[in-house]
Amino acid sequence: MAKNSGISPVAQMRVTKRHLWSSDRFQRIAFILPTSIFLLCLTLFPFIYSVYLSLHFVKMTNLSKKIYAGLENYIDLFNDSLFTTGIKNTASLAVTTLTVEVLLGFLIARILFELSSKRGINFLRSAYLVPIMITPIVVGVAANYIFTPQLGIANYLLGSVGIEPIGFLGIAIPARLTVLAINVWQWTPFMALLILAGLTSIRQDIVEAAKVDGAKWYHIMFWIEIPSILPIILLGMTLRLIEILRFFDIIYITTRGGPGDNTMVMTLYTYQQGFRYFHVGLSSASAVVILFVSITVTTVAVNLLRRAENNA
Amino acid sequence: MQRILKITTILGVAAFSASMLNAQEVDWSKELGDHAGVTLNVPMITDPFIEPLTEISGRFEQVAGAKVNVDPFGYGALHDTELLKCSQKSSDMDVMGIDAIWIGEFIEAGCLDNLEDRIAADDDVVKWDDFTPGFSAQAIWEGSRYCVPIGAYYQLLFYRNDLFEAAGKKPPTTFDELKELAAFFTDNPDFPGVKGFVTNNARGVAAGQEFYQWLPSAGGKAWASNEFGVTPSETYSDLTPTFDAAAVDLIKYLKSMMAYGPTGVEAFDWDQRGAAFASGNIAMTNMWSVRANLSNIPETSNVVGKFSTTQFPHAEGAQSRPPAGGWILCVNKHSKNKDAAWDYIKWITSQEIHAEYAIAGGPPSRISTFSNPEVRENWPWTDDLFKSSQAAFAEVRPRHAATSQMIDVVGIEVNKALIGEQSAEEAVEAINSKHTKLLRRSGLLK
Repeated sequence: MAKNSGISPVAQMRVTKRHLWSSDRFQRIAFILPTSIFLLCLTLFPFIYSVYLSLHFVKMTNLSKKIYAGLENYIDLFNDSLFTTGIKNTASLAVTTLTVEVLLGFLIARILFELSSKRGINFLRSAYLVPIMITPIVVGVAANYIFTPQLGIANYLLGSVGIEPIGFLGIAIPARLTVLAINVWQWTPFMALLILAGLTSIRQDIVEAAKVDGAKWYHIMFWIEIPSILPIILLGMTLRLIEILRFFDIIYITTRGGPGDNTMVMTLYTYQQGFRYFHVGLSSASAVVILFVSITVTTVAVNLLRRAENNA
Repeated sequence: MQRILKITTILGVAAFSASMLNAQEVDWSKELGDHAGVTLNVPMITDPFIEPLTEISGRFEQVAGAKVNVDPFGYGALHDTELLKCSQKSSDMDVMGIDAIWIGEFIEAGCLDNLEDRIAADDDVVKWDDFTPGFSAQAIWEGSRYCVPIGAYYQLLFYRNDLFEAAGKKPPTTFDELKELAAFFTDNPDFPGVKGFVTNNARGVAAGQEFYQWLPSAGGKAWASNEFGVTPSETYSDLTPTFDAAAVDLIKYLKSMMAYGPTGVEAFDWDQRGAAFASGNIAMTNMWSVRANLSNIPETSNVVGKFSTTQFPHAEGAQSRPPAGGWILCVNKHSKNKDAAWDYIKWITSQEIHAEYAIAGGPPSRISTFSNPEVRENWPWTDDLFKSSQAAFAEVRPRHAATSQMIDVVGIEVNKALIGEQSAEEAVEAINSKHTKLLRRSGLLK
């Protein structure tokens, strides 16, 4: 071939090299490589190592002593009522939180949308976002003070309207509701912000046309607004769902999973096994289960989102 | 009267012994090495003695050249941080302040330097026999002294002497008397706003430790060889869980006592019951002795001069076994400054410095401290403390490698029973079964 083309072998090698350097394939590899190394080191390797640890009996205080356990950690996990309660509580928290946040978020977004031409509304919108910016640990500590039965402001306010004090964090239902309320307080602004963006993007001429045709406010809401912003609501729900599956900080600070197991969640269980009792094998098994639950739930949510986008 | 005479005699003998022991003051320039340029890191609990400890530790630089950095942590964070760091062979910490019940877990993780030889070599300064035996036993593991006591606590019953005087009542000695008095003071129109009694009920370690502490005085025991007065090796010879009828009765008793507590008593822990008592709305509570200091600070307490202490109560037919607990100082096995670390421990726990520390509010951990006139003047409950230290049960909670998780298990199951999610019998059955599984997995039970 070199003979035919009349190019010397050395020159041909240079051409081939140049071709390689300039080829699309190499460029693609060059662009992907840093991210791949990053993912490999910080995501894939820890995941594979977690799976490996989950198949062993091992304590963090003695990592060199690993005893192969097969699936025993997983069996222990699902035989431990604390973990199964954690799954149930996480699911229940996800359903209630998302429902309240979407309803409340829609209501608030609607109000902000209606007031969009009023003076000072921009300040109100920004102020409303403050809860999202606060570190969850700080929210938890503040909530602890607010809901402390003896000295907290919550019982003081209830007392001022003649209501008997409540043990917010010590009794099952109040504790669940308190955790829900803290979560909703912090994250409803996020949902409201997304919905507000969706409402702003709806073409007003369609709304005006519907009004001319005699549509009432609820017709507009159910037939124009909600279908238009459904992909945005689903996106918000997906993001929040991922957040709720790893919900930990506030429960760790306020209830520590109690009273009883009423606010025990999967992440708290994983933390306790790993960093309080140092059972790395069991903790890794729990983390792997959480990961698979998260992937499954997120995949379903993303599929729903795509379908909604296609329909919209 | 006889009791007072007995205590006075014991304290007199202790004072005499202490004065003999103190006859020769320690020449620190000879006892301590020159550690100039060294900084010792000492993680420690943020309990009420942290301020005097930090303040006095600052003086170590003058006598030995090493700076001491006392790093305060909350209870759970201290355990997790110390254990995680030292098990990874970190030399970040030099001296570790640990709860005495963690000793087995920390030794198993390879965290603690065995101090037996150092203590034996320096016993003229350390004066080990002067430490209260009820607590110093907790610094020993499998026959070796690994740590040195710095903060001995004993559980006392705190009561409002002003309310008791007004009502013409005597402090309780038994569980039944405690309950009667709690009922008497709760919502009593003569004492408006007052509730009778409060203790730890919060899920997890708070309720767990509390239950262990009450159990011996209720006539029960947590494991087969958990007998009062036996040697430590005998104590850990048979760890088969033995929560039985006494444990069931105790859960029922503690549940019934919640009726005499303030709102939210189901979630009370050490801080909350201490704050509730200091607020002046509680007639009685049991607390670690170290908390007495907090109730006596005018800026934060409404009960200064209005409370007294007495011995931990007991069930009918059982004896009061005041729980002993508290903090010990140990040398991190991976420290690069072990000599300086040992010198610091030797100095801060010595009779001379310990007396200053106790006067400033540190928990008296030496017998000689109880007879110190300034300590007695500053802390009026010193006699009760001394009496408790004499009857204290060092092994009221286990100290082996599975302790933390076992205490949590008790705290979860007892809390469930207290809030009505399961019966006392179910709680005890769950504790025995979960403890057995844990002990087997840890290799502590066959």
